[in-house]
Amino acid sequence: MAYAHAQRSLTIGEGGLAAFFVVTAFLTLVAAAKAEDAAFAFHAYLGAAASVAAVFAVFNRYFRTPELPPQEIDGRPNYQLGPVKFATAAAVLWGIAGFTVGLIIALQLAYPALNFDLPWTNFGRLRPLHTSAVIFAFGGNVLIATSLYVVQRTSRTRIAGDLAPWFVVLGYNFFILIAGTGYLLGVTQSKEYAEPEWYADLWLTIVWVVYLLVFMGTLMKRKEPHIFVANWFYLAFIITIAVLHLGNNATLPVSAFGSKSYIAWGGVQDAMFQWWYGHNAVGFFLTAGFLGIMYYFIPKRAERPIYSYRLSIIHFWALIFLYIWAGPHHLHYTALPDWAQTLGMTFSIMLWMPSWGGMINGLMTLSGAWDKLRTDPVLRMMVVSVAFYGMSTFEGPLMSVKAVNSLSHYTDWTIGHVHSGALGWVAFVSFGAVYSLVPWLWNRKQLYSLKLVNWHFWIATIGIVLYISAMWVSGILQGLMWRAYTSLGFLEYSFIETVEAMHPFYLIRAAGGALFVAGALIMAWNLWMTVRSGEAESAAPRAALQPAE
Amino acid sequence: MKAIVTVQSFVSDLVVSVWTPLFVILFVAIVAYALWPRNKKKFDAAARMPLRED
Repeated sequence: MAYAHAQRSLTIGEGGLAAFFVVTAFLTLVAAAKAEDAAFAFHAYLGAAASVAAVFAVFNRYFRTPELPPQEIDGRPNYQLGPVKFATAAAVLWGIAGFTVGLIIALQLAYPALNFDLPWTNFGRLRPLHTSAVIFAFGGNVLIATSLYVVQRTSRTRIAGDLAPWFVVLGYNFFILIAGTGYLLGVTQSKEYAEPEWYADLWLTIVWVVYLLVFMGTLMKRKEPHIFVANWFYLAFIITIAVLHLGNNATLPVSAFGSKSYIAWGGVQDAMFQWWYGHNAVGFFLTAGFLGIMYYFIPKRAERPIYSYRLSIIHFWALIFLYIWAGPHHLHYTALPDWAQTLGMTFSIMLWMPSWGGMINGLMTLSGAWDKLRTDPVLRMMVVSVAFYGMSTFEGPLMSVKAVNSLSHYTDWTIGHVHSGALGWVAFVSFGAVYSLVPWLWNRKQLYSLKLVNWHFWIATIGIVLYISAMWVSGILQGLMWRAYTSLGFLEYSFIETVEAMHPFYLIRAAGGALFVAGALIMAWNLWMTVRSGEAESAAPRAALQPAE
Repeated sequence: MKAIVTVQSFVSDLVVSVWTPLFVILFVAIVAYALWPRNKKKFDAAARMPLRED
């Protein structure tokens, strides 16, 4: 392939990245050769293959792009949308995978024979696969996609870095691949929501630091004097996840060539570290990040300004100051000192205020546009998600009260609570954002079918209601059976009797999960058809902004 | 060792005693900034940021 003009010289970024991946290719090959367990060897080979592919991709792009993309075209910012598109598509695919694994393990709880007596399909391995796939693979890709989109548009500038945004998106998905295959092969550090082992954690740290630099770099070169509130939420999410990740993964590997490691913290300190991490993953990953989505996509879709920008500032900082202390409510009636439990409970209750501040602000943004709920199922999805946010953040502090927790803890009530937040809030606001993003990114006039969005909305909503109401009943029943005594002071029920009592609710839960998966499949079909055969937006400002990428 | 422990307890005592008032002052300042009448115009404009196309 000969170009009429001279080939440009390699940029520092391209050269540096290629050199970095040459080094990782070498290191992972050595690790594969010296590996002490099969799973570690498999991951090392995956790392080597990905490194070689990355070097190839860097040089391929170098020879194919005679000029670097400009910062602006005709005085308008030339937004980089390639990485956003990739993360959006990845989110949809991981979402379907994660929801399906959830359905499988729900059925396993109803019919344990579905374990198939195989190590790889055991509940203990599939459960972290489900939680990580939905939180980190689905949710994480939605957050990366929307944050990289929103920060560019509200800063009115092209994203910072040339290859760095691609490094973040592809590197993050490679982490997901390592984590997920690791679970199936039995690689885990047995910390809830932090199961990936030390080498996956190390890789995520590198990716996350680059993510932070890309995001902050974009904010620093912004053309808007004011940093829009959604970016504050995204930034809080990125920074806090970095801190949590480092704190809860302070591990020492048994060998540099093996997958097993041990955590530096011991006993109750380890438990406290784990739930400081775990609850703030809820607070800053599943709350702050998705509030960032709410603050951009709801005003955009409703075509109304944010109800109260002042409230958004106040509830943002209240959330930041309070959330970080709520973790101990996961450790009520344990070896954790009593004062720490009470502290966690108190801060959880105070969280009612910022949570509801956010909910009110999101809902009231529709004032003057409530009629749109009738005609736009995408907006309806996002508004219902905010309502679920309000409901589950009301329930959470309630459950953190020690007296309530003595009934709810270790029961299905907790699972119901988590899913009203995860399905109702996180997934619904993500669906709304993805339904909005896909036509914008692929330059389509509208979605392939709003009718299908409507079907998705109702099927998934019924699924959620079945799920959470089954788990409420099941959980409270379970808790009451565990604490029932006979007149002679003996426990009234054996454990297996409480398990048997759960069976019908587990079936209802699985039915709800199946509906939720069906809704997601409808969404995937609708988005696919939007991209494939949707009508191109004519004379759109976005069309002019999109270079060939 | 003893010196380290003394320094550590001095730092932690200082942090514990300063922490709460510092955060309270900081938060009150943020609330004042958010509610300050002169900032209203700026925030009303910021609330419309997603709606401005380019």
